[in-house]
Amino acid sequence: MNSPERTDLYDLVIIGAGPAGMTAAVYAARKGLQVLVISKDIGGQVNWTTLVENYMGFEEIQGPRLMEKFREQMQSEKVIYREDEVSQVQVQRQQGAGRVFAVTGRKSGTRYGRAVIIATGKRPRSLGVPGEEKFRGKGVSFCSTCDAPLFRDAVVAVVGGGNSGAQAAIDLLAVNARQVYLITEFDLTADQVLLDRILKDERVEVYRYHQVKEITGDRMVQGLRVVNRSGETRDLAVDGVFIEIGLEPNTEFLDILDKSAHGEVLVDCQCRTNIKGIFAAGDATIIPEKQIIIAAGEGAKAAIQAWKYLMGQRPAAVEAEGSQVPAGI
Amino acid sequence: MAEVTVYTTPTCPWCQKLKDFLHDEGIPFTEINVAEDPEKAREMMDKTGQRGVPVTTIGDQVVIGYDPEALRELIQ
Repeated sequence: MNSPERTDLYDLVIIGAGPAGMTAAVYAARKGLQVLVISKDIGGQVNWTTLVENYMGFEEIQGPRLMEKFREQMQSEKVIYREDEVSQVQVQRQQGAGRVFAVTGRKSGTRYGRAVIIATGKRPRSLGVPGEEKFRGKGVSFCSTCDAPLFRDAVVAVVGGGNSGAQAAIDLLAVNARQVYLITEFDLTADQVLLDRILKDERVEVYRYHQVKEITGDRMVQGLRVVNRSGETRDLAVDGVFIEIGLEPNTEFLDILDKSAHGEVLVDCQCRTNIKGIFAAGDATIIPEKQIIIAAGEGAKAAIQAWKYLMGQRPAAVEAEGSQVPAGI
Repeated sequence: MAEVTVYTTPTCPWCQKLKDFLHDEGIPFTEINVAEDPEKAREMMDKTGQRGVPVTTIGDQVVIGYDPEALRELIQ
């Protein structure tokens, strides 16, 4: 479709290479579109997942291995991949079929697409308190599965009262941490089955309605300052802080798109955003249930919709197809 | 070539990715499972200032996390 003289213009630019982005790339390439994928990494959150046991076709597979298979399949198609973090997406020309989107990467400059799919996913939410960045890897961890074994016989705080927080506490108790402080801004919201496993353990102390103000230390984490709703502060001596307060979407740079209060891109059931020609898929969107298989499916859908958009097909045509079902069925 | 040591835990997905990368690049390395060996865990913390995995040492250089560019640069 693309004119051969312009090498920086693609039919479709896909931002993100997790399950949604890579699936979209395969579908779009197979439709004959010239596809550029720009992403800061391959696999996204799935790289943090030890074992995936609910992606159909694989009874069990390591998260990074599954993403490696996605990558191989994506690169077996005519897809161009650039590793970069996108800092801006702009609508460049608005008149008729000439609409082009400028996608700017931090390292590689600006490239252009006739359509764009946002598939930037999510990342672990951070606390945003002093000490959090400084001590990352030096006692501050966002991956209890990875790092819990390094806290044997240690005093550790887990921040977050949801299922991930409870699971981190379970991981730490399993490696014989000496004491686990479970700190939550509200009440505990983890599933009862998980709470049953930790609350009866005398090594666990729960601080409900407490906020973390600061993580302190010298070379490594040594303490944590928390404050309750009455404004009383308390300093806890800890060797580690596991932060498990959920995820946030990688959508800050998308100031031209409508988003939910949580920053998720608003899409309709055809992956369309508020801007014609920009589609979105996967965890970065408001689509409920953040699962690999759902993100992959949404990616496929976004690619087909982008192709239809590029072919000049109106979404109404899809509804018309559906209406051709013979009466009586 | 300087000796390459990778500190890991068996449940860490990034450690697996790092080991796959080194295998693919044909770089020989020694793996130390710090979940099994508290003394080695202490050694890793003293040597690298890190209490998180994966950590790779190449001679006296340290690479934190999974960072293929840094690994390639230091190993060449």
